[in-house]
Amino acid sequence: MSETNTLRDSARHGDGGKVFDAGPEGTYPPTEEMLDAPVDPEVKARREAELRKAWETPKGWRYWSAVNNTEVGVWYSLTAFFFMLCAGVLALLMRIQLAVPDNDFLSADRFNQFFTMHGSAMMFLFAVPMFEAVSILILPAFLGARDMPFPRLSAYGYWSFLIGGIFVLGSILFNVAPSSGWFMYPPLATEQEGIGPDIWLLGLSFIEVASIAAAVELIVGTIKCRPPGMRINLMPLYAWYVLVVGVMILFAFPPLIAGDFLFELQRSMDWPFFDPDRGGDPLLWQHLFWIFGHPEVYIVFLPSIAIAAMIVPTAAQRPMVGYSWIVLSAVGVGFLSFGLWVHHMFTTGLPSLSLGFFSAASEAVVIPTGVQIFAFVATLMVGRVTMSQPMLWIAGALAIFTAGGLTGVMVAIAPFDWQVHDTYFVVAHLHYTLFGGMVFPIIGGIYYFYPFITKKKMSDRLSKWAFWLTFSGFNICFLPMHLTGLQGMPRRVFTYPESAGWDVLNMVSTLGSFILAAGILVFAWDLLRPKSKQPLTERNPWNAGTLEWSHDVPEEAWGVRSVPYIASRYPLWEQPKFLERFDDGKFYIADAPEGRRETIVTSAVDAVPQAVVQVTGPAWVTLWAAAFTGGAFILPVFKFYWLSAFSGACAVACVIYWLWTSTAQVPKDPMRDAGLGLRLPVYVTGPKAPGWWAVFITMLGDATAFASLVFGVFFFWTARPDFPPEGAALPDMMWALSAMLAYVVAWGATVAARELNRGGRQGVARWCIVGAVLATCAALGGMWLAIVMPGLQPETHAFPAVMYALTVWTSAHCVLAIVMLLYCLAGSVLGKLTQLYDADLRNTTLFWHFMCLSGVITTLLVGVAPRLM
Amino acid sequence: MTEETPFRHESIWHMIAAPTVWTLHFAIIYAITAVECSKIGTPDLARLSILGLTVLALALICWIAWRAWVQWDYLDDQDYVHDKPTVEARREFLGHAGFLLSIASAIGVIFVAMPALFIETCL
Amino acid sequence: MRGPAVVLLPLFVLCSCDGPQSVLDPAGRDAEVLATLFWVMLAGAVVLWVALNGLIHFVTRIAPRPLNARAAEALIIGGGVVVPVILLSILLAYALNDMPRQRDKGEGLRVEVTGHQFWWRVAYWPEGAETPIVTANEVRLPTGQRSEITLNAERVIHSFWIPALGGKTDMIPGRETRMSLEPTRPGEYRGQCTEFCGESHAYMAFGAVVMEPEAFEEWLEREAAPAVEPATEKARRGAALFLSEGCGGCHAVRGTAAEGQVGPDLTHLASRVSLAAGILPMTEDALRNWVRDPAEFKPGVEMPGYDHLSEDELSSMAAYLGGLE
Repeated sequence: MSETNTLRDSARHGDGGKVFDAGPEGTYPPTEEMLDAPVDPEVKARREAELRKAWETPKGWRYWSAVNNTEVGVWYSLTAFFFMLCAGVLALLMRIQLAVPDNDFLSADRFNQFFTMHGSAMMFLFAVPMFEAVSILILPAFLGARDMPFPRLSAYGYWSFLIGGIFVLGSILFNVAPSSGWFMYPPLATEQEGIGPDIWLLGLSFIEVASIAAAVELIVGTIKCRPPGMRINLMPLYAWYVLVVGVMILFAFPPLIAGDFLFELQRSMDWPFFDPDRGGDPLLWQHLFWIFGHPEVYIVFLPSIAIAAMIVPTAAQRPMVGYSWIVLSAVGVGFLSFGLWVHHMFTTGLPSLSLGFFSAASEAVVIPTGVQIFAFVATLMVGRVTMSQPMLWIAGALAIFTAGGLTGVMVAIAPFDWQVHDTYFVVAHLHYTLFGGMVFPIIGGIYYFYPFITKKKMSDRLSKWAFWLTFSGFNICFLPMHLTGLQGMPRRVFTYPESAGWDVLNMVSTLGSFILAAGILVFAWDLLRPKSKQPLTERNPWNAGTLEWSHDVPEEAWGVRSVPYIASRYPLWEQPKFLERFDDGKFYIADAPEGRRETIVTSAVDAVPQAVVQVTGPAWVTLWAAAFTGGAFILPVFKFYWLSAFSGACAVACVIYWLWTSTAQVPKDPMRDAGLGLRLPVYVTGPKAPGWWAVFITMLGDATAFASLVFGVFFFWTARPDFPPEGAALPDMMWALSAMLAYVVAWGATVAARELNRGGRQGVARWCIVGAVLATCAALGGMWLAIVMPGLQPETHAFPAVMYALTVWTSAHCVLAIVMLLYCLAGSVLGKLTQLYDADLRNTTLFWHFMCLSGVITTLLVGVAPRLM
Repeated sequence: MTEETPFRHESIWHMIAAPTVWTLHFAIIYAITAVECSKIGTPDLARLSILGLTVLALALICWIAWRAWVQWDYLDDQDYVHDKPTVEARREFLGHAGFLLSIASAIGVIFVAMPALFIETCL
Repeated sequence: MRGPAVVLLPLFVLCSCDGPQSVLDPAGRDAEVLATLFWVMLAGAVVLWVALNGLIHFVTRIAPRPLNARAAEALIIGGGVVVPVILLSILLAYALNDMPRQRDKGEGLRVEVTGHQFWWRVAYWPEGAETPIVTANEVRLPTGQRSEITLNAERVIHSFWIPALGGKTDMIPGRETRMSLEPTRPGEYRGQCTEFCGESHAYMAFGAVVMEPEAFEEWLEREAAPAVEPATEKARRGAALFLSEGCGGCHAVRGTAAEGQVGPDLTHLASRVSLAAGILPMTEDALRNWVRDPAEFKPGVEMPGYDHLSEDELSSMAAYLGGLE
């Protein structure tokens, strides 16, 4: 039998009167005859008009309510680029200070603020957001999708990033910026006076939350919004990297959020997690920070290599050699990068045996990275290379990155690291990896994708100037630093004595830094200079093979004219008559009969169409939600706790309004003609729905943060002899176990509500929801009684402090669980949630699986574990 | 529509089974060493358990690699590109990637176990 | 296109590798091993870098006829897996093998160093000693034996590093960390704090002196003795002023009423190679300026300034301190 099948109706009202989900009906995959069927020009024009209207970008001041990925992506990348320039200026000022010995251009305190902010901004405001920005901008095009699955979430993420970024970076202008390093080691950072550390902790936590939101969206986009036929073996490599990096963000950022949570509790409530005098341990922060911090390096590096993986086949004019190898390398690096964090802590006096594990893993990660680079080289060898401007930047990137990788092999050797750790050798190493692994590929990517985004080309001549200035400036600046470090110059010193003999090298580095800056400026000018007189480019200027180059010139806001059926890795090279069919709207959903923004949802592995779902359009509520969330994070810096709580409540209200009015709407007609003889449901629930995946993925991240707190408990237990302290009050076991029981009851009631609702007994289901709410309240009460009744004082010792922190964390989730349950109850009563359309209740149940697990673990850790330790 | 392939070939979880074994191996030997060196102080016990766990992890990875090799089915059609829009190409691709990941994970496990051979104390 | 790298290579040759704080000018067993390891790794890295980038240059610029896909796959396996696995296994085995050696237990002398903001308390525990010999901001070690070094920190994290002798180890409040060093070549070197510890992190260094064992024993004996009496009238005035100004509340000068433990021990201050944790020369001028306004030289320092004293009084004080051989 051919691969074409007739889809069976999976019986919406099947046997025994049981209700099933609506399934796709009709033919899939399409046959050649169907794809060749002519389209009436009048129909075509009407459909184009419909689409144009549905996807129209708001005009005038309403422009800022846009949520479309092409708008948000551009704002996002330009903002990240602006923050990078600011952080770069800080670096130049530091280089001036270090140009000569005993310089007094900057005071010690200001220098410390500058290097702290340089690192923090480059990492949190540039490197990671840039990945998200670029991915939001181009991922839908790679996947032939019209938009990201949750455009308002992208907009919310962007506005959060903007507010948080300005807040954090702005602090430098008021001379109150954090000054204890981007790693914020306690006790220095916990003891620092002023609001600097609070700005760092709260401002960046806010941005991390936005980053996780973007990661969730990118993962869901890659898994569920691929075009029909794009099986997992046909995905563009960029999508593979996005998937891997998204998952890495999900597991890497939460430990830092957990760390921030503990850190801020210590700063504002004096709970001594990191205070050794009261049973705390400063090393806990270092673990949590670097469990985030090392994967972070790869989170920055992989997406840029992903860009290279799109440019290299185009330059070689042939498909990438070793697709499976590259997938191996991306996935392998993703895993291994979580086993490296202690190599930032080689000098903290951990047992040699432990250091050995991390040293070995740090060397092992060279292998997938090397595979990646050799796959590029192999592709270039097999093809006929045309040296374009983007390719020049990629070649420069490889030259720099391999140098950084080779010094990485050196510093991964623990004993050698004992010598060069925290010296300029490491400064050189990390800049080689980040420039080669991030800055150069990103700039190459911008040259490459610029015609796709603006339909204009950047200048070849300026690109050459920018490249050679940046490349030579970079090497003149950073190559000598290896030697500066070997001669013993530590990092983060604001000056050095003449007698140390570091003056010539530092002067050379400073000169280099200005050449480098000149190169970046030339690039910035080329990027931003007005190009209105320049002609539009052709549609596929580099003759690439991937989907993004199918977009129309001049640009149309709809993204793809029709969502294509994909049968190859490089459809523009390998699928005959592709563009013609695409433009005639012969593929899927080439129209918008109800004027709604829609995209196709497909199955995770084989990309079989499952539904046509609505995606959200322009809205102000996302901006308000971001502003109030910002308030909730920023106001505590100034000790306005009540205002902050109010702002948080407003943010929740905004989000509820946004979800209620635009997601999981009960459709008028359950099915939609998707074209090519296929009818698809317009409402999906459970694992078929993007929303379900979003909840699942978010909860994985949330569970990671919780696991980090649990790790904290065991860390204290292994690291401290007095945990729990001799004769200390222990939490009450009976109350804790009662709370545990209440969690299980609430979970059971939620699951029962889902099943009863499905079975048509909505009345009982509602009562179950009410029961779940009451049980959650009981659990909440039980948890608090367990620690309050025996008189635990969180300020006295790290042990009660950790018990309180676990309880606070789980309590916050209880409140969220109650809100979600009430949302479902309201939906059920008001007809938004019905027997068939139960996505909200399904998602809440999914949330409850995680909630119940963390409730049980919390109560066991609080009630039982201390008695065993 | 998907009846023609058994479920296990649908899953990308099989592809990442081997690196998951690496992760567990790494996390467990790290935890054992931490507890051993801070609470008990006899690294020999830790070194022995690391050895045992390493053998176990390698055995698991070999088994996963064998399954992946069968799924890849290289000798059948000698395909290592897998760029066809078919269920077979997808199945073989996941097998191929899973096989390569098994090799990388095995190297990772051996590397990570090496310190236990050379380092005899908790210092 | 690798122009800048080629231009910069001679720079490495021009700038000497030695210096008081250089990793590449070793004076201890561990540092020697690591310097050699570095040169070997550097040679390997240069070869690999040139090979890989030469290959990239060749395929992108010189444009040979395209290779077949099988050969390309072989390149990925060979270059990405086989070669790195072999090289890294050798490197890792060598490093793991030497690592315990570098952290061996000391053979007699134990030096206990405590990091303060921004100076070092140094206590020597010769084998069998019941009380330590306390000094500050200078570490002296004998050749010919491995000395145990235990590290503590008072408030924030610091890191203890003498590049010429070996690797660094962090000093963490609430934890005692340890390391050991085996100096081989007598001489004066410089150590520095390498973990960012606050405003004057850059000003937290110390002199490191390696001595022959007999010379070290003699020095340690002198160091254990109480302070010498002030020799001149001026110095005696300085001594009186030292006590009346309350300096003894923080500093100890053994053999006098000054018994403070908050700041550095000054009993044999003038015999050290530098002042104020490695940032000023040990001269009477420097002493006078330091006492007048320490924050001028070390922002964020805990010691208050004594600028209410007259120049004459400051000179007496400097004379007294400068005589504490």
